[in-house]
Amino acid sequence: MKRKILSILLAGAMAATMLTACGGAPAAPAADAGAGEEAAAAEEEAAAPAADVASEGEHELSVYAWDANFNIPALQAAEAAYKAVDPDFTLNIITQSGSQDVEQAVTLAASAGDYSSLPDIVLFQDHYIQRFVADYPDAWQDLEDAGIDWTNLGAEKISYSTINGKHYGAPVDNGTAVFAYRTDVLEECGYTIDDVTSISWEKWLEIAREVKEKTGYAMLSMDHSGDDLPYMMLQAEGLSQWKDNTTPVLVGNDAFKSIIEVIVEGANDGTIILANSWGDYTDQTIIGNQVAGVMNGNWIIPTIEQVDENSGKWAITTLPTLEGGKEGYASNGGSSLYITANCSKPELARDFLAYTFGGGDGAIETYDAALKNGGVITCCISAGKSDVYQEGVEYFNGQAIYADIVEMGSHVPVIQQSDFHYNLRTLINTLITNVQNGADIDSEIQSAQDQIEFEIAGSTN
Amino acid sequence: MRGTGSSGFPYLLKGVISLTKKARSISAKQKRAGWLFLLVASVMIFIFSFYPMISALFMSLKTGSAANMKWADPVTFNYSRMFQDKTFMKSVGNTFLYLIIQVPIMLILAILLAQLLNNKDLKFKGFFRTCVFLPCAISLVSYALIFRSLFATQGLVNMIPTNLHLIDENINWLGQTGTARFVIIFALVWRWTGYNMVFFLAGLQNIEYSVYEAAKIDGATGWKTFWYITVPLLRPVIIMTFIMSINGTLQLFDESVNLTNGGPANTTITMSHYIYNNAFGVGVANFGYASAMSFFVLILVAILAAINLKVGDTRD
Amino acid sequence: MTEKKNRSVVQRRLIPSYIFLALFSLFSVFPLFWMVTAATNNTVDVARGKIWFGTEAAVNFKNLLAAAVAQGSGATLGSFMGNSFLYATAQTILCVFICSLAGYGFELYHDKGKDTLFAILLMAMMIPGVATMIPLFGMMSKLHFLNKVWGFILPAVSTPFMIMMFRQNSRNFPVDILEAARIDGLSEFAIFFYMYMPVMKATYAAAAVITFMNAWNAYLWPRVVLTDSSAQTMPILIANMSNGYTVDYGMLMMGVLFCSVPTMVIFFILQKQFAEGITGAVK
Repeated sequence: MKRKILSILLAGAMAATMLTACGGAPAAPAADAGAGEEAAAAEEEAAAPAADVASEGEHELSVYAWDANFNIPALQAAEAAYKAVDPDFTLNIITQSGSQDVEQAVTLAASAGDYSSLPDIVLFQDHYIQRFVADYPDAWQDLEDAGIDWTNLGAEKISYSTINGKHYGAPVDNGTAVFAYRTDVLEECGYTIDDVTSISWEKWLEIAREVKEKTGYAMLSMDHSGDDLPYMMLQAEGLSQWKDNTTPVLVGNDAFKSIIEVIVEGANDGTIILANSWGDYTDQTIIGNQVAGVMNGNWIIPTIEQVDENSGKWAITTLPTLEGGKEGYASNGGSSLYITANCSKPELARDFLAYTFGGGDGAIETYDAALKNGGVITCCISAGKSDVYQEGVEYFNGQAIYADIVEMGSHVPVIQQSDFHYNLRTLINTLITNVQNGADIDSEIQSAQDQIEFEIAGSTN
Repeated sequence: MRGTGSSGFPYLLKGVISLTKKARSISAKQKRAGWLFLLVASVMIFIFSFYPMISALFMSLKTGSAANMKWADPVTFNYSRMFQDKTFMKSVGNTFLYLIIQVPIMLILAILLAQLLNNKDLKFKGFFRTCVFLPCAISLVSYALIFRSLFATQGLVNMIPTNLHLIDENINWLGQTGTARFVIIFALVWRWTGYNMVFFLAGLQNIEYSVYEAAKIDGATGWKTFWYITVPLLRPVIIMTFIMSINGTLQLFDESVNLTNGGPANTTITMSHYIYNNAFGVGVANFGYASAMSFFVLILVAILAAINLKVGDTRD
Repeated sequence: MTEKKNRSVVQRRLIPSYIFLALFSLFSVFPLFWMVTAATNNTVDVARGKIWFGTEAAVNFKNLLAAAVAQGSGATLGSFMGNSFLYATAQTILCVFICSLAGYGFELYHDKGKDTLFAILLMAMMIPGVATMIPLFGMMSKLHFLNKVWGFILPAVSTPFMIMMFRQNSRNFPVDILEAARIDGLSEFAIFFYMYMPVMKATYAAAAVITFMNAWNAYLWPRVVLTDSSAQTMPILIANMSNGYTVDYGMLMMGVLFCSVPTMVIFFILQKQFAEGITGAVK
């Protein structure tokens, strides 16, 4: 009953609209009523905003982006910063449900042969941009004349958005991977953060088992629907799943096999939780307080910080490696901003990007605010030197984690990438599941290799 | 996508039957008027369904990126490719699994509910009917979110048995093949049983009450009446809902995407989900291949519908 | 006395039916009930499966309003709801009108040619949506119908399902009325407007409920054709909010509630006519 009352209250007005609509149609003078409704609909439609998401005003730019708690605060920060140059400047941020929406929009526009459905700027996932620039060269406008000092930006990050030697993207975030640990849990087992730095994965598993036994905490978790662990672990070795961009190297890749074995062993021990979905990964394992360690792109930090009672108990460090004895550096996730062919004000767009995310005069203001409001960490070296970055973070027991992350970012090795990164990721995910269920690792690696070759062949025929 | 515009296909049966109906004599002027009545609707279906379908057919013979597609070499490349594609074959298997398990459960429940609700002595009929139908009013995006939350590892479904100490460890419903498939089937039954029930209920209301009275006099019990009178008389509706469900299940999309994202290890992915992934989902757009697989689905639907009509039509 | 006794015997025999129906009703309604309680809880409680009402409804609502505004382009919760209403209403009116014309034409003027055409139109139901989406987008883009009500509704305004439904129901339309009206000199279209439409009220109601629900709940096509936040609908808002590095489930469920209530209310209001209309369709 409560629901019924509520529903009637909430939607009473709307229902009334509907009633007149339905009642009107079958009644005797229905033709007129119907036509009237149609006309009303048409009128309302005319009043609706223009079809074009490209901006109209001279001081306005439109941008597609996703994630209201991360990328969008960064864009808002940039908008505010750029007002120092152009007080009338407005940035129309159009939210998408995720990176795939932007990819879909570009693909559809390309298929229609008409880019006028695109906004001025799009936020685009790093792993896909190479392919999208190669496939749809007419869809983009480069950033060559924007006056950005590219050496001031993280080399690994920039490697994604540089295509045929031309710079296309302005980086928003820094995907540098961190390994965050609960120091209080480690202490309970007699370890410090230094004991888990520069260690081998073998040693790590040993400690993880001990932690699991003594405290019940798992040492790590990962979203198993989009498993990023193997990629990051390989990058920490300076290695890749790829050769020459389109040739997968899984079979005979000893490091890859060892990494899969580590993950499967951890999953079987219960020291690594493989969550079903992104939501389970963040909500159940991290916020749900099931893990003593989190390894991912640094953008995961705001998620860790959601649990108030664990404030002061976390610390971050680098990744373990297979051999141990050195620090592992990797990156994961992240995106950059690109100007589309539909932008009629490329000068304004370039200047805006250069001034803010590109490390120009507004970079410090932009990134300081982006960090505060969205936890977005820059890959821009000069912006990373601001005071805000040097401050100790209470949640991490006073560690100046942001400065540390910018520093780590400068060590991330540039590795071979592929347009088929996510296709392969899906297959590796299947591989891990099957091995975990008892399948033979070598034959699973072989079938993953076969399948990815099959997929590549299908789209390059 | 499931059960939306496409759900009426079943009436094909009726269309076929009506072909045999004797035509009334009508004047030429009326004949013209008749064509005018169906002009707008027909033209729109040609423009917005058949024209894109033909475009898609051409596209299925091409490869390359969306902006510059070229004829495949050989032109049947995409078609022969799908049979070597292990993931696609897995998605075909998954879809048929849903079809074989979920559709009969749902339809039997729907008939049973309709039969119970058709009893003239039953009270609170309207209340029960509303409750059972209500799940169809909710959007697919919403209901997938609700079920995902309910079946999360620490979600409500796990809380109840854990609190009663029936299980020690929370069940990872969506993380294991068997349970994930169960959740999808469970969700489908929840969402669509009421929808089918409405059609059965309507069918039952068209059966004259005197038929039952006669059966009662002949001493038929409840179950006997059901099997020997209700089911045969409902046959046209059963065929209709069956084809509707086949069509809906073969095009199943939202549940696979939003509940399990096809996982674990693609063991719950459906054909439409995989097609979508090839067109938009996972990075590299392959419209040609996606279109080819769509035509495979279309042919499957047509074959199954034809079989169904053939099997169901023996009486006539 | 005996009648009363009989009645109680009948009711006693129906006890298993009541139990089964009550259980199934509970099964059907429970997730919806939980949707309502979840909308009043915070994200942690929702994630941990809290079953009862909480006190966060106002906060969730406020966050939902903010989240809608954060979609950009001047969108608000009102614009998402309003767009959903505009598109669903426009689609319902046009679809019901066009398809009833066709259903009437196919049934009451049927001849060999029209029956063949009808059989051909039915094939349109078997086409998977994903396949036609790509060419349709190109079409809408060329027509400049992106982000417009036309772009949303045109592909769904004429559906074989609705034509069928009206065609089936038209069999119940008494031919005598038709003949009498013709003798009175009414034109063919006047007969449709003044005779047929009023008689077929229940069919229109059933068709309107189904069309409205489909239009309101549509996601895949709207996602493609509505690229600007200010032109988008409730299901898109919900999908946008459900993705991201951190998701507020309480707020999300509030959004789900807003998205679900209108269709439920419409069903509540029209359910009697709806049932009648469907009954006519399966005759």
